[in-house]
Amino acid sequence: MSHFLQLLFTGIGIGAVYALVALGFVLIFRATNVVNFAQGEFSMVAAFLMVVCAVDLELPYWLSFLIALGGMALVGAIFNLGVYYPLRHRTFLPVIISTIGASIFLANTTLAIYGPQPQVLPGWFETPGFQVGPVYLDSQYLLIIAVTVVLVAFQYWFFEHTLLGKKLQATSQDKEMASLLGIPVARMIMITFIYSALIGGIAGILVAPILFVSIQMGSSIALKAFAATIIGGFGDVAGAIIGGVALGIIETFGAAYISVPYKDGFAFFVLILFLIFRPQGIFGERVAEKA
Amino acid sequence: MTITRRGFSAALAAGVAMPAVLREALGQSNTLKVGMVLPASGPAADSGKYALTGAKIALERVNKAGGVLSRQVELITEDDQTTNPGAVLAFSKLAAQPDIVAFIGSIRSTQNHAMAPDILKTAKPVCFGGTDPQLTKLGNPWLFRFRPNDSYSGRVIAAYGAETLAKKNWAIVHSTDAFGTSGGKALTDSLGKFGAKVVIDQGYPNQSQDFTAVVLAIKQSGADVIGSYFTFENDLGIFARQLRQLGVTVPWVGSPSITTATAIKLAGPALYGTFGVADYAEESSPEAKEFAGLYRKAASTEPDNFGSWTYDAIGVLCAAINKAGSTDPNKIRDAILATKGYKGAEGEYNFDQYGDGLHGYNIVRNEKGKVIFDKHIEFDD
Amino acid sequence: MSVEAPIRAARRSPLRFALAPAHIGYFVLSALAVLLVSRATLDGYVLNILMQAATYSVAVFGLSVVLGLCGQINLAQAAFFGIGAYAVGLGTVDYGLSYWICLVIGTIAALLAGAFLGMTTLRLGGHYLAMVTISFQQIVTLVMINAVGFTHGPDGVPRIGRPALFQTSQSYLAFAVAALAIIGYCVWHLQDTRLGRAMRAVRDNELAASVAGINVYRTKVAAFAISALLGGLGGGLFAGGFTYVSPDQFSFAESIVFLTMALLGGVASPIGSVIGTGLLILIPEWLRFLKSIPGLYLAIYGVAVILIILFMPDGIWGFIANFMRRFIRPVPVATVPPLVLSPDRTGSDMVLDVKGLSKHFGGLKAVDKIDFAVRRGGIHALIGPNGSGKTTTLNVISGLYRATFGSVVLGESDITNLSPHRRTGAGLGRTFQNIRLFRSMTALENVVIGAERRGNSLIPATGGYAALEERALAALEFVGLGPRANEPITRFSYGHQRLIEIARALAANPTLLLLDEPAAGLNSSEKRALHDLLERIAAQGLTILLIDHDMTLVSGAAQHITVLNFGKRIADGESLGVLRHPDVIAAYLGTET
Repeated sequence: MSHFLQLLFTGIGIGAVYALVALGFVLIFRATNVVNFAQGEFSMVAAFLMVVCAVDLELPYWLSFLIALGGMALVGAIFNLGVYYPLRHRTFLPVIISTIGASIFLANTTLAIYGPQPQVLPGWFETPGFQVGPVYLDSQYLLIIAVTVVLVAFQYWFFEHTLLGKKLQATSQDKEMASLLGIPVARMIMITFIYSALIGGIAGILVAPILFVSIQMGSSIALKAFAATIIGGFGDVAGAIIGGVALGIIETFGAAYISVPYKDGFAFFVLILFLIFRPQGIFGERVAEKA
Repeated sequence: MTITRRGFSAALAAGVAMPAVLREALGQSNTLKVGMVLPASGPAADSGKYALTGAKIALERVNKAGGVLSRQVELITEDDQTTNPGAVLAFSKLAAQPDIVAFIGSIRSTQNHAMAPDILKTAKPVCFGGTDPQLTKLGNPWLFRFRPNDSYSGRVIAAYGAETLAKKNWAIVHSTDAFGTSGGKALTDSLGKFGAKVVIDQGYPNQSQDFTAVVLAIKQSGADVIGSYFTFENDLGIFARQLRQLGVTVPWVGSPSITTATAIKLAGPALYGTFGVADYAEESSPEAKEFAGLYRKAASTEPDNFGSWTYDAIGVLCAAINKAGSTDPNKIRDAILATKGYKGAEGEYNFDQYGDGLHGYNIVRNEKGKVIFDKHIEFDD
Repeated sequence: MSVEAPIRAARRSPLRFALAPAHIGYFVLSALAVLLVSRATLDGYVLNILMQAATYSVAVFGLSVVLGLCGQINLAQAAFFGIGAYAVGLGTVDYGLSYWICLVIGTIAALLAGAFLGMTTLRLGGHYLAMVTISFQQIVTLVMINAVGFTHGPDGVPRIGRPALFQTSQSYLAFAVAALAIIGYCVWHLQDTRLGRAMRAVRDNELAASVAGINVYRTKVAAFAISALLGGLGGGLFAGGFTYVSPDQFSFAESIVFLTMALLGGVASPIGSVIGTGLLILIPEWLRFLKSIPGLYLAIYGVAVILIILFMPDGIWGFIANFMRRFIRPVPVATVPPLVLSPDRTGSDMVLDVKGLSKHFGGLKAVDKIDFAVRRGGIHALIGPNGSGKTTTLNVISGLYRATFGSVVLGESDITNLSPHRRTGAGLGRTFQNIRLFRSMTALENVVIGAERRGNSLIPATGGYAALEERALAALEFVGLGPRANEPITRFSYGHQRLIEIARALAANPTLLLLDEPAAGLNSSEKRALHDLLERIAAQGLTILLIDHDMTLVSGAAQHITVLNFGKRIADGESLGVLRHPDVIAAYLGTET
């Protein structure tokens, strides 16, 4: 039983990381119909920015955090202008390849600037964790779970109760209609990219103290987050969160009770089952028939 | 600035042609060339940097002492991108340069496997650091190993844990890649000879984000000692931290990766009190100490085995060429195989018929982040 | 030009003949290339690069089929490549089989895996296909790593055998290049086959393809399976070339590399595949001189990928081909006998019988229990105000929607539950309100797809492409666009595109032609021409079911009218009578009466 609870906690924790990255995928997908293969690199870049500020320059943690987020906003904006915007009228394939190019570029530019050594980023809290009964709660995982919950609540409030959120939603549903209604579509997409880069960045900064900061930290999480996105349904924010957490739990329990070496396979096996039997994801809306 | 399509294609064409032009312009020089395949990009790029540093300081020593066959020695490097096809291309690119007399291969066994057919074709000595015991038994006469192979690391881990620490119930944790699998197997094989048994053998895939399941399994198995073969330090760091968090405190004897500077930096206190086998330990010999001094001067990081084996490889190779008195590959090969009692940073090199130079390991201890030399275990066979 | 050559008498089409010298040239050039690599002195580095390029190209051909011809994504090409490579590796090393047998086994294994994957998921399409292929890729990689007893695990398989004939690397490379040339020829040729045309049609417009009689699902599965087959074949060649394989050579990252190669070179042609593959292997090699800073050259490579996608949307070969196309005059069009329509006449007087037909969307009854029958010969119009359910009715009849209740009988056969392409096979032809043509093709190619309908009795089984082309040309001639047959669709005006769509339906020699608002967007002279065209079609005995808002056209052309409002039939009968019916006037003119 104690093992079960411990696995559950870790599963939810790692799942929350997938969920945060998946959220970035979903937002960009909804706005542009494109899967951003560089989403994982957003997390990696943000973690390196944190290392530069908090470790190398020894700035206060909160200030480093703000600087890193500022940097991510800029990355998101440049990414939109350089990688997505010029290709917005093309089909999804060239855009996917373009984001792949961007991911190679971001990873290797960081490598060229910072060198290949993995780095250590301290966590937010002095205490590494608590022993609660039979379960050890890692404080960084607790933080990640908390942030995920808060972000989901924020997201809900933002999209349902603010004008900007509603404009963004209108844009993601029907660009032509949105522009007819006088919504500046290009600006909305810009905001989406910046917001996604920020969320990806937050995920990277939060997970860095656990997984360390390395060039490939982003790509390994992103692939899982990707799977989470499908399990949850590609067009749906709540789905991404549930998908991410579900994946984290499946993986952790699969590793404990079935096989550790095939751990990464469970995610994709579940995914194939979903695609065959429930392609719309857990929460996906029914796809309407259309001619 | 607006880029037109035509302008872009012109620039593309120019970009395509430029490297060839540059290569022509660079020309030739009268140095003795040693080729080196190393990861400059990809997940192992950091170890590539250390390997290069080690090779460079050895080179500097050799050149200061008058070079080889009265020529200065030059290192030509190619990036293997930490992939097998990358290694094959990098090696064949070097092999295509006829003035390169010998090569430094990879520290990764699978890459050496991938390059082996080309090495056989090139028919020039290749010094490598991969520890899969198979590599020197392929019947490929051009492969020379500058680190003790895994049959030794397995035996040393088993000997230390089962005899010195007197622990009989083992948990083995290993990566599922070539290095980890062969290491885990070697350790399992050796444990039987010491009357110890494996209570749990747990493989994990590289770049795992979480080891909770592995740690809990170890906890449940009742193991009183852990033997490990980790490939990447970040996996090792995550495992170490979760091991301590979940309250596992049994002794831990790890493969060389547990003693590297990166691992110690990443895992911090979680590795305090662990043991590791190390082909390189600073305190193990005066030569090792000398290397440490030179290495610290050249790089800002702590010396470890990634640098020491290339340092020794260059040293042995240059000595062998001098002894051979020629750059004829067969003569160099004979001279390397005849090398006995060469004192390098990693230990004493006595090459056997297969091309294995080292036959023992150091045991080191992590004392509050400092690597302390414990003892050296050497085998005759 | 060589159009006047005697071969013309053998009814070879002018288009095909113009290509013939290109085919001979292709083989001459390929033979030269094989000769060159087998004779020239190549160092190991060049040999390895060429070996990699030649074997990877075969796998990239696969992507040019699935992606370029059929428009479906495949992110698991490295897995199929790996299946082929491991078959050769394990077969020659562990089981002592001959290289050739292993190559065949690997290719078939990849084909089966691809077909299975395609069959289970190709109904999803688009992004979902991307996901499922990624998952497949990951699972294959994990099996390669972890099934140590079978695959040798992460150690990989060393000392892989080669065929006795090609023991040296250079002779094997020559063999690989020769194989590449032959496979490339087949891939190039594929687009001239029935299957290839179907793939292009599916890529351009799935809906139009299905109503043109193409089994969209089967076509996609075929494209996917062929792609997997080529992946496996390339992998088998690769394993023999490098004589060592290990799991990390077939990872997801490699699938991405394959995809980038395909898009970079241009997916439209195998030449593009070879260019893309060569470049993507060479670019990082060229940039090696930047190696002093780790990562720098791969960063530049990343930017190069973005820039090429940005500035060369059709890939490098597409860019070159577009440029060259400016210097090629369109091939002159041959003269053909006039179009013959001979609609099937089996069954009763009523060619179409719709009974109790309903279509509900959730709670909305878009079509509610309507009955009507279309008499053989002549023009029958289905009219009604906006939102009355006309187009929905047409979509249910042609199979794009499944009927909630009711039945549709065409001639003697009940087609209520058939899929769209089988209805077309049964003799239904239709056009769309918003024109659906295959936009990457010429007018002629569009109409050929129509002519190719299964069950088109006017195409002799032995006629081959020439017969199809002759019929298509006749159909274009019939709508007045014969001389422009070889121009791409994009050069035609809106009105002309409508005519091409009608020609595509006519070429299939249907039993019943459904026209969905053919007059929409036409000017008055175009409308008159359309009216005239409908009369000429009807004169040949082909029945037309017409939907339109243009009352002049409807009242002038149709002998019989059915009127719908709010999904219900409100009137049905002889034209003039129906148009004077008070309910119809009320429905149309509403409060103004």
